Amino acid sequence: MISSPTSPVASEFTGASGAEPAPQTPGTLRAIWARFRTDRLATAALVLLSLIVVICIAAPLTSPHDPLATEAVNRLAPPGSPGHILGTDGEGRDLLSRLIWGGRVSLLTGIAPVLIGLVVGGILGLVAGYAGGITRTLIMRCVDVLFAFPAVLLAIGIAVTLGPGTRNVIIALAVVLVPSVARVTESATVSACSQEYIEAARASGASGLSIILIQLVRNVASAPLAYSFSIIGPVIVFAAGLNFLGLGIQPPDPEWGSMLYTLHNSLLLAPFTSIVPGIPIALAALLFDIIGNAVRDVLDPRLA
Amino acid sequence: MSSPNGGAALLSVRGLHTQVRNQRRTTTVVDRATFDIGRREVLALIGESGSGKTMTALSILRLVSPPISIAGGEVWYQGQNLVRLPEDAMRSLRGRQIAMIFQNPRDRFDPLQTIGDQLVEVLLHHRVARGRREAEDRAVDLLAEVQLLDGGRVMHLYPNEVSGGMLQRAMIALAIAPAPDLLIADEPTSALDVTIQSEILDLLKDLEAARSMSILFITHDISVARQVADTVAVMYAGQLVEYGAAAEVFANPRHPYTQALLASVPSPDAEILHPIPGQPPALSNPPPGCRFAPRCPSAAQHGRALEPPPVVTVDRVSVRCWLYDPGGA
Amino acid sequence: MLSYATRRVLLLVPVLLGATVVVFGLIHLIPGDPAASLLGPNSTDAARASLRHSLGLDEPLPVQYGKWIWLVLHLDLGESIARRQPVSSIVWEAFQHTLVLAAMATLLANITGLFLGIVAATRQFGLGDRVSMAVAALGTAIPSYWLGLILVSILALKVQLFPTGGMTSAIDGGSPGDILWHLILPAIAAGAAPAGIVARTVRASVLEVLRLDFVQAMRARGLSERTILVRHILPNSFPAILTVMGLQAGYLIGGVAFVEVVFSWPGIGNLLFLSIGQRDYPVILGVMLFVSVIFVLLNLTVDLMHAALDPRVRTSIST
Repeated sequence: MISSPTSPVASEFTGASGAEPAPQTPGTLRAIWARFRTDRLATAALVLLSLIVVICIAAPLTSPHDPLATEAVNRLAPPGSPGHILGTDGEGRDLLSRLIWGGRVSLLTGIAPVLIGLVVGGILGLVAGYAGGITRTLIMRCVDVLFAFPAVLLAIGIAVTLGPGTRNVIIALAVVLVPSVARVTESATVSACSQEYIEAARASGASGLSIILIQLVRNVASAPLAYSFSIIGPVIVFAAGLNFLGLGIQPPDPEWGSMLYTLHNSLLLAPFTSIVPGIPIALAALLFDIIGNAVRDVLDPRLA
Repeated sequence: MSSPNGGAALLSVRGLHTQVRNQRRTTTVVDRATFDIGRREVLALIGESGSGKTMTALSILRLVSPPISIAGGEVWYQGQNLVRLPEDAMRSLRGRQIAMIFQNPRDRFDPLQTIGDQLVEVLLHHRVARGRREAEDRAVDLLAEVQLLDGGRVMHLYPNEVSGGMLQRAMIALAIAPAPDLLIADEPTSALDVTIQSEILDLLKDLEAARSMSILFITHDISVARQVADTVAVMYAGQLVEYGAAAEVFANPRHPYTQALLASVPSPDAEILHPIPGQPPALSNPPPGCRFAPRCPSAAQHGRALEPPPVVTVDRVSVRCWLYDPGGA
Repeated sequence: MLSYATRRVLLLVPVLLGATVVVFGLIHLIPGDPAASLLGPNSTDAARASLRHSLGLDEPLPVQYGKWIWLVLHLDLGESIARRQPVSSIVWEAFQHTLVLAAMATLLANITGLFLGIVAATRQFGLGDRVSMAVAALGTAIPSYWLGLILVSILALKVQLFPTGGMTSAIDGGSPGDILWHLILPAIAAGAAPAGIVARTVRASVLEVLRLDFVQAMRARGLSERTILVRHILPNSFPAILTVMGLQAGYLIGGVAFVEVVFSWPGIGNLLFLSIGQRDYPVILGVMLFVSVIFVLLNLTVDLMHAALDPRVRTSIST
């Protein structure tokens, strides 16, 4: 027989404590911590990811060579070459060093837009959902306009317009992310506002903004947080892709995506070297995905 | 224990033992249930929600899946032990020889298909009819048999376009279509209006007679059980505490729980309600002795320490209670 | 249903209008003289002055917008700086090529995702579930451009099973078979991530339906697992599944851009990429405008389809 999840009847008998209610309480952090204690895969992912982040941030200490130092005689050295564990690129620069230094940029352009999107989109969605009426319509219509463009093309368009540079890639991606976060937050706020505790808070004379807002934010926060977490991986891939197209970082500065582009001409001569820069991109995305699943299961079990 | 009504049994449940297993503990939800159902007999399985009666029914049909499993016991039907039957043999038996209807009919139909389509599907699957045309004709006949007289129209309706009572009749039609020997009815009237309830009960009684069908009628409502039962089995906290002919048990309840149940039924002239004080025990952590002892007005020290075995009294009623133990209480 | 459809169509107008405003804004955000951006560094002063005049660049912004919209509505998106051809025809042709690639990628993604999702849901917590979801996770994590490079490296360079790029072969190319041959690798590269997302959604949706009580009732009637799955569970999962498939298809229209660059597939993404290098702003803006219209229409179709399948959507108050 197809194995089916525990029937509703059986849950009466398992003696398990009932499902936690979706509204968030201070126990959330504790719940996340407990989840990681039992989920070995997620914990391993977290450890590995932290390692990667630390290595990249500490680039001046961890990088074996100067990422910009070229060695004309040693181009496209294969991995395992003396002094170059991962080999060298087309200009003779150490690949490992470039990956480490490049990681700073790649991770930054992946995480920063998500943070900005979370804050800006979250505030917009909260205001729209709470205020209602004209304000809400206005804000959500503007959000809808940005939804008219496919994410990739919008990001490319903005990045092109603003010009090259990491900062502009971050802005472009943030602009693409804000509408989604705003929608998620607005929808969560609207359904939270319709619940009675808001009415109760208002009725008890709580001053308009402070108490209600804090209560509201606490209960609404899980939706945009879970969403933001779930897109960090794809955004890292996306950001590296924009760099791949040459929109952000400019050569010779290293970054995983742009390295992939520079090396793709050497695909025939040095297949391994040309493929290597993609590994950290995929790895980071995968690790964030695994961690994000675990976090999301805790924040909103109904989505599991 | 043989059937209180005598005669060869159609279905013989012996020590059926069903458990739920999770990481931390194993909970017994059906504790060595033993009873028979004879031909053309209506056995009412009475108990509160959580007493294990639905689990018993699902176990008979092997509709339980991990973490719930049948840990022991036998279910004899036509010389075969259903607990050990291979799955495909069990599947051909389900619906065809033993059928089941459920409490909330609206949740038990595919919302995207018409009632007629779902009837035809069952008729074709069990080869009651060959070909769609014949199946549709038979379906209309079946609907008439359950007193849905404009069957032709009902066939083309979707479940959400039809009332609860009509849907329950349609579900009964689906169940009796392959002419099963035994119909398991799990709280078939609990979700319906009182007026519809008695209509459905009458329908079931008529069908039982007309089709020589046995019924395992599961309910929490003693007054409903009174209207249909030939035999009664009372379940409490996963155990069968009293089992005997309906006339005997209702006239002369032996187990304190049965007595309390009967006493708690409100009657029109009663001024005071007599609910049973307390709550049934959590099955994950049952009391060491008799499970009803914490709420029993006649409980003795003995009862709190040791579980009473079932005892058959003179009138062929089986009771699980120290008060009737021939060795003294 | 009709009223819902009408409402959604009417909503199109302000959204499209807003999109044109965004594109218009981008034109003016480009540093420097918009006329020079639109005509290119080699344009003459006279040509720039003429464009400046027709766009009214020293007039108030709303007027400029009006004049520009007027041109757009006449399908005059300007002329490509690099190619000296009307932007509209360049974009239209490129779009058709993108459509072919996106369609194939969608097809592969949907079939794979459906298969993986059903396997995972019907073997929940078992090996099939874990393997399918691991594959899905890999699909969404691996960048499409990277997968493209790997595929080229192995299947086109090491073993010459497939071409390394382009849409048609240089010699004797152009037949449907030839295009299909060129299509396979980029379609796989582009479809991997959507396949993963579809797989996850299918799994969740089928599991949700499996939980419903009518499934148990059908087992009690003696129906086989396969019958229940195909005739009852899948149809009940369709609204959610089709919606995600539609959304992924929409995403792919933009998302294939990276793959187009890797495989030199002559679509919109590749066009955009080349235009960036050439500072061919009329093309860049023309692409954005054109694609936004298509995208809005596509999303509308997905919404209407979802509403047709799930009556609850029609009565909800749209934000």
